[in-house]
Amino acid sequence: MSFKDVLSPFTAWKHLFHDPVSIRNPIGRAAAPRYRGFHQNDIEKCIGCGTCETICQNGAIDMVPVEGIQTKQGDSGLRPRIDYGRCCWCALCVDVCMTKSLNMSNIYTWVESDGDAFRFIPGVDKKPWDDAAHGYRRPDDHQLTGPTRLREHMPEMEPEERIGSFAEIVHGYNVEAAKLEADRCVSCGLCVATCPTHMAIPQYIKAIRDGDYDLGVALLYETNPFSSICGRVCTRKCESTCAARHEGDAIAIRWLKRHIMDQVSDEQIKKVVGQPAAPTGRKVAIVGAGPAGLTAAFDLAKKGHQVVVYEALDKPGGMTRFGIPEYRLPYDVIDRDVDVIRSVGVDIRCNVRIGQDITLERLKSDFDAVLIALGLQDGRGTRIPGSDQPMVRKAVDLLRRVTAGEDIGTPRQAVVIGGGNVAMDIARTLARLQKKQYGEVKVILTALEDLPHFLADADEIKESGEEGIIILDSRGPQQVVIENGQVTGLKTWKVKAIFDEQGRFAPTYDETDEQFHPGTMVVEAIGQMADTSLLGDALTEQLAWQRGRLQVDAGGRTSEAWLWSAGDMVRGPDVVSAVADGHRVAASIHAAITQGVQQ
Amino acid sequence: MRELYARLKALYPLGELTEQRKNLAFVTVPAAHLRDTLLHLRDKEGFTHLVLLTAVDWLEEGQFQLTYLLNNRALACDLGLRVLIQRDTATMESIHDLWPTAATYQRELREMFGIDFPGSPRIEEEFILEGWNSIPPYRRDFDTLKYAQEAYAERPGRVTHDPETHMRLQMYPGQHPAGK
Amino acid sequence: MLDIFPPDRTQYPAKKADGTLDIDLTSGKYLKLWQGPNHPGITGNMSVELTVCGDEVVEGKTHVGYLHRGFEKLMERRTFIQVFPIVCRVCVPEPDFNEYCYAACVEELAGIEVPEMAKWIRAMILEMGRINSYMMYLGGQAGALGQGVIGQWTTYVRDLMLDRFEELTGARIYHMFILPGGVRDTLPDGFAGRMEETLCEVEKTLKDVYDVMFCNAVFKKRTVGMGVIDPSWLEPYGVTGPNARAAGVAKDVRKDSPYLIYDQLDFEPVTGQNSDIYTRADVRRRDVWVSVDLIRQILAKMPKSGAVMAPLPNVLHWQIPRGETYVRGECSRGEYGYYLVTDGSGYPRRINVRGPSYTHAMALLERMIVGCNISDVAALMVSLHTYPPEIER
Repeated sequence: MSFKDVLSPFTAWKHLFHDPVSIRNPIGRAAAPRYRGFHQNDIEKCIGCGTCETICQNGAIDMVPVEGIQTKQGDSGLRPRIDYGRCCWCALCVDVCMTKSLNMSNIYTWVESDGDAFRFIPGVDKKPWDDAAHGYRRPDDHQLTGPTRLREHMPEMEPEERIGSFAEIVHGYNVEAAKLEADRCVSCGLCVATCPTHMAIPQYIKAIRDGDYDLGVALLYETNPFSSICGRVCTRKCESTCAARHEGDAIAIRWLKRHIMDQVSDEQIKKVVGQPAAPTGRKVAIVGAGPAGLTAAFDLAKKGHQVVVYEALDKPGGMTRFGIPEYRLPYDVIDRDVDVIRSVGVDIRCNVRIGQDITLERLKSDFDAVLIALGLQDGRGTRIPGSDQPMVRKAVDLLRRVTAGEDIGTPRQAVVIGGGNVAMDIARTLARLQKKQYGEVKVILTALEDLPHFLADADEIKESGEEGIIILDSRGPQQVVIENGQVTGLKTWKVKAIFDEQGRFAPTYDETDEQFHPGTMVVEAIGQMADTSLLGDALTEQLAWQRGRLQVDAGGRTSEAWLWSAGDMVRGPDVVSAVADGHRVAASIHAAITQGVQQ
Repeated sequence: MRELYARLKALYPLGELTEQRKNLAFVTVPAAHLRDTLLHLRDKEGFTHLVLLTAVDWLEEGQFQLTYLLNNRALACDLGLRVLIQRDTATMESIHDLWPTAATYQRELREMFGIDFPGSPRIEEEFILEGWNSIPPYRRDFDTLKYAQEAYAERPGRVTHDPETHMRLQMYPGQHPAGK
Repeated sequence: MLDIFPPDRTQYPAKKADGTLDIDLTSGKYLKLWQGPNHPGITGNMSVELTVCGDEVVEGKTHVGYLHRGFEKLMERRTFIQVFPIVCRVCVPEPDFNEYCYAACVEELAGIEVPEMAKWIRAMILEMGRINSYMMYLGGQAGALGQGVIGQWTTYVRDLMLDRFEELTGARIYHMFILPGGVRDTLPDGFAGRMEETLCEVEKTLKDVYDVMFCNAVFKKRTVGMGVIDPSWLEPYGVTGPNARAAGVAKDVRKDSPYLIYDQLDFEPVTGQNSDIYTRADVRRRDVWVSVDLIRQILAKMPKSGAVMAPLPNVLHWQIPRGETYVRGECSRGEYGYYLVTDGSGYPRRINVRGPSYTHAMALLERMIVGCNISDVAALMVSLHTYPPEIER
């Protein structure tokens, strides 16, 4: 202790004349640019996936419907409402926002006497900070919902290897790869509405994460008895509304479905599927053993009804077997799904053509209900000059013959007309046959659409190219050129437009841009139609039709009370839509025939 | 760490050594040998700093794990002694005479986990919770959410919607897949 | 067991057979007095139940629980990422140690390697927090002895540092910036320059504080030789941090077992010899200088660019294999640590927060307060630099 210690404290007085450092009015003080203040939400970008609500550890977020925002594919129509009595400003909601629509402004001062005002829907309830330029935005490498890209690309055969055979191209995920892919899913459930048969997608992906494959199979069979098949060739509309696609790649839902089926043995699947209910004594006849018919058969058999399925061809599966080439969907996979359907008591009788072997009238009298699910087995023709030549063929017909093991007289050079998946299927099938027989691929594919508007899957187009198929887009077929009674090729014009101003199909061409594509066979793959001759003239006359298709109600019932129709012939070609239709029709039939019991 | 473990293992029936890091390991000690092991570590091995004493409830296995974490500052390493005791009896010998500060930890464990340490000073006194009326709250079978819902009122006006369910009701009501 | 009373016990109450004190309040000799829970001489809400004889304390019992929120239990109910926003709330003045220790535990058990850049930013944040915490302490210590002006000055520089926190982390008090995997973002443009300005202001204020608080006859009179922690108590009572360093033991986790990038920094732990209130205050004052220097070193040595976040799995269903670990750091009050036990699920099995106040404010304070004059109790309590939320969590 010294004299200095007595004087030194008085140095504090030197601050007497300093200006105050405090802010006179803190309301409205500008915060730092990355300050985490009140939320902003771009409601146009937001898809209402609810990931923000899931992550919020305070339970501050509710997902609520908003007037003027419609629920639609890929958008639940819900928007987050935030309770600022609970929010802790941690911004995890911003960090996991799949569309980056949710952000935080740097505005944090707001005086309001009504406490309930602090619970509002950002972006919907207008606030002064909605347009604030600054605030917390998720930094670029700040990624909390896992990788945005496919964790592992599906392993598949190399083009050189696969072109020589009809072996399955895609190998399927192993357990580890599937888990990694399943881990990317945020379980929002937006995909479920898009799936025609509304599969429990987030739930079965969770089953993969948990390694509970029995549960996975049970979930698949709740909505889809064609899971092995759909796991390979589904049109996977679900992936188009996946929340992850806003960040990068959609979850590979189709491959994950296949993975579950690959992991479980046939016996175990049958055990999980279980036994049908006690017999009801009701009988249902189904014509056509494709996805729609067999799905309906599966549902009805499980409910205890006696179901007989009649198939004109020698094996069940319909278009999945006779339309889709083996390299995409091996036949034993179809057998596997069909086998499970048989295990619940469905009686499938092949090589029985209704209308020839048994009449429809007979079915009507022998059964309580009849379902026709014929599919679209006839190809449409272009009707261009020369298309009546024998070497001008329909794609579906050729594919059926290849599956049946017939020799189709593989041409050395072929031209395919069409830009859909069937066109790709026949082009790639022909390519494989050419490779086997002649050692080289010479297939030209022409389509009306330009490449970005092809109806075929992107994978199909890419793989066709890899396999040596030449794809020419925006080419309109004009004439099949015939010399000495032999097809020598196809003449096409450049397409100017496919649709007219009213959006009707009316292609216009640039006649000056003419090309000749050499080939000894021309294949038309421009669409299919149903062959409904089995109905007979009288019934055809009696039934109500709409634009060439049988008219049915929501449950698939025709204007005749005993007759239902389902699948491609009423819905258009798509396996999973056919499955969905099968369920709908089965429910309708079940309701109708059990109502009869009660009466 | 391995050498220390070998020395200790010669004296006491220890479980396997779990080496978490090069300077942190855990080992299981039978309750009866805890005091001797602690004394040995403190007085002979230089583990003089009791970092923490806490419990883990392995409800499914019917056991409490008591963790005595000791630090040797000179070697910059830590050794955690795990003692597994029966959950239903939940009693353990007190070590307040080795480290007076342990009495505080033991008081907390008694209150939060219901683990008794007979003889520990003021073990009966309330520590943090005043007038607690339920099972010891840090036990795994105490449900905080349920307790909060029973004890406190929810703020009215909160309602939320699950996107998947909401979309079903909006887009395909009544038309639910088979089996549901 | 250590006797909590000095040898001369003539003026103290007798002990009963069970070891408790025989205090007969009807005798008129003793008086019960509550210091707290909202006494200005206490940092945070805590109270000490004093028994006094005349103006001398014969017994003190610490009472906590006023800030209990059951954090450790709340954490068990949250997924690993959801725990991250609540840990900082365990300690208001220096929240970042909670974020760091928790993140480090999770990273260790989940096998995540943190990018180099993130380590430097983390260390800088921890030092910034340390300065703030000391600033609050200096104001409190001076305030406990009636010097209001020191608190005004230190609050001012703390506010400047909060401005830096705000522009770096996006928040002033609870930063929620250090999370498992790294840190949220890089330094904003021009940060180093503004930080340097703030550090200069810290230094200027420290000089003023030294002149007015430490070279002050009254302060010295009240604190020199007061509240001595005997070096022999350090281990039994688990004393760490400045409280231990003021007793001449250079206990500093940053030096003893360096974490983050402290092994690449040049510094010496600050120690003192007398272990009284004055020395503890002085150790902390000098420690601020060390932190100021460390921040300068970090800004000079840290990488100029680089990732600040390691790739994480999808946090919505993040599971961590069974395991347990303990991670510690040197906070302004001593050893701060998190003990994390995982069981393979998506939720922590158990998290135990080890705050230095747990030992300092309980057993140690109760030991030291005996024999103390009532008017010195506040200064003594503050000198241990305790934050009650660490005790009750």
